[in-house]
Amino acid sequence: MKRTPFIFSILVFASLADAQQDWIRTGTGLGVEKVRLAAPGLKPANADPALGPLLQTFNTTFWNDLDNAGIFEMVSKSFYPLQTPGSPPEMRLASWANDPANAGMVAFGNLALQGQQCVMLGWLFDVKNSGSPQVLGKTYSDAAGDDGARHLAHRFANDIIYRLGGAINGITLSQIAFISSRSGHKELWLMDYDGAAQHQLTRLNSISLSPRISPDGDRIAFVNFGKGVQLAMFSVELNRTVAFPSFGGTNVTPAWSSDGRKLAFSSSMRGNPNIYVSDASGANLRRITEGPGPDVSPVWNPKTNSQIAFVSGRSGLPQVYIIEADGANLQRMTDTGYAVSPSWSPNGQFLAFAWRRNYGPGAPGGQDIYIMDVATRQWVQLTHDSGLNDFPSWSPDGRHIVYESRHGARSEIWSMLADGSKARALTSSGNNSQPNWSFK
Amino acid sequence: MSRSYFLFIALTISLLLIAGCAKKPAPVAAQPAPPPPAPTASLSANPDAIEAGQSTQLTWQTQNATDISITPMGTVEPNGSRSVSPNESTTYRLTAKGPGGTQEATARVTVSAGASAQGAVSETEAQAFARNVKDVFFDYDSYDLRPEATASLQSAAAFLEQHPNLSFTIEGHCDERGSTDYNLALGDKRASAVQDALVKDGVKGTRVRTISYGKEKPFCAESNEQCWQQNRRGHFVLQR
Amino acid sequence: MATSRNIFFERAEWRRPLAWSAVLHGSFFLALFLYAVFVHAPAGDTWGADDTGSAMSATLISRVSIPLPPNPVQTENVLADQSQGLSKSQPKAVEESPQALPIPRLGKKPKPQLRTSKAQPHTPPPEDNTVPYGEGGPAAIPYSTFTLQSMQGGLNLGGTGDFGRLYGWYVDVVRRTISQNWLQYEIDPGIYSAHRVYLTFDILRDGSPANVQIEQSSGVPSLDQSAVRALQRIDSFGPLPAGYRGNRVSVEFWFDYKR
Repeated sequence: MKRTPFIFSILVFASLADAQQDWIRTGTGLGVEKVRLAAPGLKPANADPALGPLLQTFNTTFWNDLDNAGIFEMVSKSFYPLQTPGSPPEMRLASWANDPANAGMVAFGNLALQGQQCVMLGWLFDVKNSGSPQVLGKTYSDAAGDDGARHLAHRFANDIIYRLGGAINGITLSQIAFISSRSGHKELWLMDYDGAAQHQLTRLNSISLSPRISPDGDRIAFVNFGKGVQLAMFSVELNRTVAFPSFGGTNVTPAWSSDGRKLAFSSSMRGNPNIYVSDASGANLRRITEGPGPDVSPVWNPKTNSQIAFVSGRSGLPQVYIIEADGANLQRMTDTGYAVSPSWSPNGQFLAFAWRRNYGPGAPGGQDIYIMDVATRQWVQLTHDSGLNDFPSWSPDGRHIVYESRHGARSEIWSMLADGSKARALTSSGNNSQPNWSFK
Repeated sequence: MSRSYFLFIALTISLLLIAGCAKKPAPVAAQPAPPPPAPTASLSANPDAIEAGQSTQLTWQTQNATDISITPMGTVEPNGSRSVSPNESTTYRLTAKGPGGTQEATARVTVSAGASAQGAVSETEAQAFARNVKDVFFDYDSYDLRPEATASLQSAAAFLEQHPNLSFTIEGHCDERGSTDYNLALGDKRASAVQDALVKDGVKGTRVRTISYGKEKPFCAESNEQCWQQNRRGHFVLQR
Repeated sequence: MATSRNIFFERAEWRRPLAWSAVLHGSFFLALFLYAVFVHAPAGDTWGADDTGSAMSATLISRVSIPLPPNPVQTENVLADQSQGLSKSQPKAVEESPQALPIPRLGKKPKPQLRTSKAQPHTPPPEDNTVPYGEGGPAAIPYSTFTLQSMQGGLNLGGTGDFGRLYGWYVDVVRRTISQNWLQYEIDPGIYSAHRVYLTFDILRDGSPANVQIEQSSGVPSLDQSAVRALQRIDSFGPLPAGYRGNRVSVEFWFDYKR
């Protein structure tokens, strides 16, 4: 008799875990079934020796883009037929559609060098449809060289993801801004979504924090400690900081609305750290929250731009709250523990944040990334027992989350699918923190 | 007999009616409503010349106005006073709108950057400052002042009142646990708590600057409670 | 004389036994009461003992009774029936014998019939350019039917006839996108199975669904509404394939629900 409740709770818990994962997959577009995709990569169009290294770069990047997209089940290369096609006449549908490959789609093509450009022809074939297998057939060209080859791979992968993923743009051309102290100071850095091409943006030789890329990708708002704690603006086009008004007090955690017109941030210009909203130029300042706070880390609902989620310590330990953009209707979302760094998913449905549910000196358990459905307040833990995780940021397709993971004194930037799978490190050296994914 | 009685009644009634008619007052001519009074506004800043990082007190009064705003602060109450600390010289403009019209008032605050204008700080004064104005320490995730902190700040306030030429900054710090952004706000609350305690004890607000460093500039780097306690502090820095 | 004395003697006789009986009864009940109060109550269970047992996290709101499906297996069997035509076979029209009305009594109204959910399934209006059933045709449309754990359904695509054959991958995208956006917790958890619900909608040139209509209800309003909401949640399936000439594709989407 005593045993029955125990078994019952395990079964219930198991099915609940399933239930949790399914509503995550539904809301984030990760899907409950994936297309089986084979990507043998490009073949050289001619015997040019310079094509070798370019193809190597292309194929590796291409495979990673598709594998990390979250909507494909990549057919393992060991199952591919011996002869891989470079153009449609060479394509044998049956050898791909049948065992052992058992693929649903195949992406192939060829690459050629024409002067200073590399030109590729790429096809996507539906191998189960012998009548009309072609789904995509496109030509791309880019500057010859390593960067060009990577760029080609990103573009081809993007088109495939768009076609098969239900009209959601791929993220292969998106970027991540972050803070790194490799140069001795905390400065603003930028990298591709897969960790390539990491480069330093600012050389202010002071402390910089909280980068936020603008929706049009041209400016990055951040916090600088040069003269007080002030908001600053970096122009990617001009490659330097541009003027931004300073306010009294401590000004931190800027956040762009998804139309690029407004900035929300936390400021103590009137004594208490509260949330303020201003135009993108810093004018038309308006206070949104009241009280002693401290209120910090605002983030807009990117679908409607009429709600702001933020962190407040007004009830003790910091918790996540949601408020209308005019200051009405304050709602508390988390009930316990230490919850910080909210990030709102692009479809407006989920909040990702860092949560330490058992908080206190000496309490066990780490800080992990959680996802909460805003409408129902159901939540799911994404990371488990892998250091102190903080600062989640959603990708533009709503399928990936980038975050900071700290082990001891070292902190690196990791990326994972929005259901917690396929976590991998994007950075490996220096102290890297506070990543922010671009809007597109 | 009844006929004359009837006539007498009719006569009385008609007399009454006529009298009533005569008593109807003449209608009074309607007077136009008085025009609404024009709004008045006055704005002053005290002091009107400060150094960068110091604060000044803006005071304003309005009458007969419904919509009062001060640029760059926004909408404010009709009468009030607020402490502001602009980083550069600013002209505050008060606009009072009412049914009777609009009235404006301005106040200019000049901000000069640079070292204390009241003369250099001598070495002995700096040492005395370090001796008498001690950092205060805080509890975990808290910006409340402990009783010993309050006592320490009271004696610090006494010292500061004897040396009115000294200006200083209060830095708020947090330990390495906790999130970067939230710690910046928490450090700000800690510095404000110390500043409020000093101002309540009589220290002039213009001498005090506050800044928060969150957990970005710790005093020690170990991961144990002693180090963490060392980092949870309000730190005084003398401006020379 | 002797009798009257006997009577009196008999009357006196019952008083003592009665007293003894009352005393013994009373002491018996008193003992019972004291036993219950003082000996049993402190150690016994109060009614509805608050033994919490294994605690569940209170924040998990997901309904217990819905075991949402794991990753579904795509069946190899593409056709659910023997049809070799391009369009799905029409569901058999079930003839229902009319319910016999009771002979109306004078003055009383006949009881109103309860309409069961086994209503006459009216056949959806056939697309005027689909291949009629039975005429045969090229190989079956790939991916046009599917089975998840609790849902079995299919798609019919109209348009210029052989859309499904030429662009099977697009049908696949449509199907996957719909099933991805279908939140099963919107369905009344008391429902265990429901008959077929037919939805029709158009896909415009840019891929957005339009004109969503419930062609035939399953009789369960929450199931119908969850399907409609799934479609409303979708912004776009992706632009219609470039080779397709038409301006829109009409889709008939049906499914059965069985938990």
